[in-house]
Amino acid sequence: MTAAAPFATVCDGDFIRARHVLVKYLPLIWSGIWRKPGRTILIFLQVAVAFVLFGVLAGMKSGIDHAVAAARADLLLVHSSVALFGTNLPLGDLERIRSVPGVRQVEPVELFGTTYQKPDQFVGVVAIPPDNGWQDAFTYHIAPAYLAAFSSTRTGALVREELARKYHWKIGDRIPLLSAITKKDGSTDWAFEIVGTYTDSDLGGGRDVIIINYTFYDEARLSGTGTVNHFNLLISDPKLAVGIADEIDRRFANSSNETRTESLRELAQAELQAIGDLNFLVRAVIAAVLMALLFATATMMMQSIRERIPELGVLKTIGFSDQMVFLLILCEATLVFVLAGAFGLALANLVFPWAARFVPGLSMPAAIVVAGLAAAAILALISTAVPATLAARLKVVTALRAR
Amino acid sequence: MNFLRQFLALLRMNLAGIPQRTGAVLTVVVGVMCAVGVLVSMLSMSTGARRQALGDVRADRVALTPIGSRGSENSITREQAQAALDLPYVDRGSDGKPLVLLQSTVPIEGRRRESGARIIFPLTGVSPNVTDYYPEMQLTQGRMFTAGLHELVVSRACSQFVGFDVNDKRTLRGIDWTIVGRFTQGSLQQCRVYADVDTLMTTLTRNSYSGVTVRLRSAGDYPAFARAVAANPGLKLEAIPERQLVEEDMKRFTALLNFVSLFVGTIMAIAATLGAVNSLYAIVDARRGELATLRAIGFGQGAILASVLCESVLLAVPGALLGSALAWLLFNRMAVSPFGFTFELAVTPSLAVLGIEWALIMGVAGGLLPALRAARVPLTEALRAT
Repeated sequence: MTAAAPFATVCDGDFIRARHVLVKYLPLIWSGIWRKPGRTILIFLQVAVAFVLFGVLAGMKSGIDHAVAAARADLLLVHSSVALFGTNLPLGDLERIRSVPGVRQVEPVELFGTTYQKPDQFVGVVAIPPDNGWQDAFTYHIAPAYLAAFSSTRTGALVREELARKYHWKIGDRIPLLSAITKKDGSTDWAFEIVGTYTDSDLGGGRDVIIINYTFYDEARLSGTGTVNHFNLLISDPKLAVGIADEIDRRFANSSNETRTESLRELAQAELQAIGDLNFLVRAVIAAVLMALLFATATMMMQSIRERIPELGVLKTIGFSDQMVFLLILCEATLVFVLAGAFGLALANLVFPWAARFVPGLSMPAAIVVAGLAAAAILALISTAVPATLAARLKVVTALRAR
Repeated sequence: MNFLRQFLALLRMNLAGIPQRTGAVLTVVVGVMCAVGVLVSMLSMSTGARRQALGDVRADRVALTPIGSRGSENSITREQAQAALDLPYVDRGSDGKPLVLLQSTVPIEGRRRESGARIIFPLTGVSPNVTDYYPEMQLTQGRMFTAGLHELVVSRACSQFVGFDVNDKRTLRGIDWTIVGRFTQGSLQQCRVYADVDTLMTTLTRNSYSGVTVRLRSAGDYPAFARAVAANPGLKLEAIPERQLVEEDMKRFTALLNFVSLFVGTIMAIAATLGAVNSLYAIVDARRGELATLRAIGFGQGAILASVLCESVLLAVPGALLGSALAWLLFNRMAVSPFGFTFELAVTPSLAVLGIEWALIMGVAGGLLPALRAARVPLTEALRAT
């Protein structure tokens, strides 16, 4: 026998004893939980529902933060310094932008709004010249077959998948759109042939959007020929974004078409700052939820302990210490709350795909799960602290007399 | 009659017992209060936004838009605008000319004064009859822009938030524009900048107006005016009341706010109802002996059920009132600007009524199961209880 052996035996002993204690008391905790099944299930459901809300609200906030971080920093937009929409840049600026060092690709983009069948069914239109490899300067994902069809069809349109589903459009359909843009023939009716679908990873991309051929559009429209809303830029290194943006804006400074260049990430930040104003409301709601929950569970626990006084007296009579009784009650509550919290967060996760239709980019990182479970445990500890202390302080005689 | 007497006696007994059951009773009240408070506060966003947007709408103002088209980005040619001047039923301004407001809007951007965050707001070119057209518009500083000059007037919010002050200059398309005046316009809270429409369109090399609105001699003339517009085939425009246009515009914004509010409110209401069920079960359980005795001396099951249900509802209603009051205290008239649209939250009586309706539902849903249990307490329980 070596010198280390007795030490190992002691350690093993401790471990076995600890496990033994757990195994010994788990049934007791378990039966405590199911003493009144109806009440436990109701508390469980109440905590779970509250944590569904917690999960969704916290997920909304983290989703927004995540979306900003995921926005591409190597894609820049050059638009008129006057505004993002409504004022155009001449197509001729393209060469001057392309010559800025670090710029790999420049694609002109025109935007306009249309309606489909009803005035409130808005469809945004993005017009892009179908050059070779144009999609590299965008956040779109398009199947190669669709890309080929798009570049060979002058009146072709790529439709965002969600939009195609919304109106049950199929490839080959001809969709009539009404717009404020007048055609050379004097009408404002535009029609495009669907040649494919695409998905967009950019948060600000808009859901009801189609992509059409700029060359066709520019030739067909009555006024504004040869202008674009903005240029999309692919740069060689996202770290150079600020320098390249400044250089482009410097080149067009004091011209009649001053520019403003921003990365998609900067745009996402600006866009989401606007939603940030609602953060105080989200926080207030979470606070109200947890407050109501705390109140409800605390009174419930109080009630429950009062009913169990004789039982607790029996436990003490057969040798349970005050601390042990205290811990038993805390364990019961914590177990129920943490399980309910986990259940609620899992439910929230199930709700996400559905809620994503209204709020983009919902996600639940581990940090929120941990924060949620911790909140559940803390809630359990606070709401049982007083009743558990009362239970621990019970005198055996008084407790048994209460029978 | 007997049922009613029993019911009232039981209800009085239930309510008299409230002081002994403060914990359980408060759980119901606080739960409903939080749920209704959250619902009302969140709905106050869309109510406030709507109230703000519709605040200055007048029934005698009508927009002319290309047929089937909506929004501020319309294109109306000079010929169409000229034809609009000859339409009947249009009111006359102080200069004796028809009150037709020609507009050309371009969104411009500025930086917020405190945070430096970007904010986009409209620069609207308007014909010089704008002060006649909007009687609610008041110049508070400086003067109106002069037709033909590169001059701007800004709303109060612009100088408050964006730092547009009188005598400042802003560059647009390489040209300096001077801010010559500041105005208020009814309940307008947004930053809005006006310039002379023809000067702006020359600067932007635009050829068509983005909006044409007219003021009618009286709101009642609208149907006749709309017919006159429709009957003019060369015009290719339709007449839409200002209110309808604003309502349609707001619908998309408030739909999102309402969805979020109702989603959060529903979850809160479910949690509050579960809490109420639990508390009422506890109350009923504590009274088993008493209830069985009542049954033994002849009180009917129906009366007991109704009395517990009624107690639940009576506890929920004060919760709703407290929740609405709290929402009103904390949030009413608080200015927010989500998505760049500034408005004041509005907690209105109709929202409080909605809150009470929700509370009634929560009360009934929460009280039903406990009431059934109370009514089903077996008579033998009375004999066993000592």
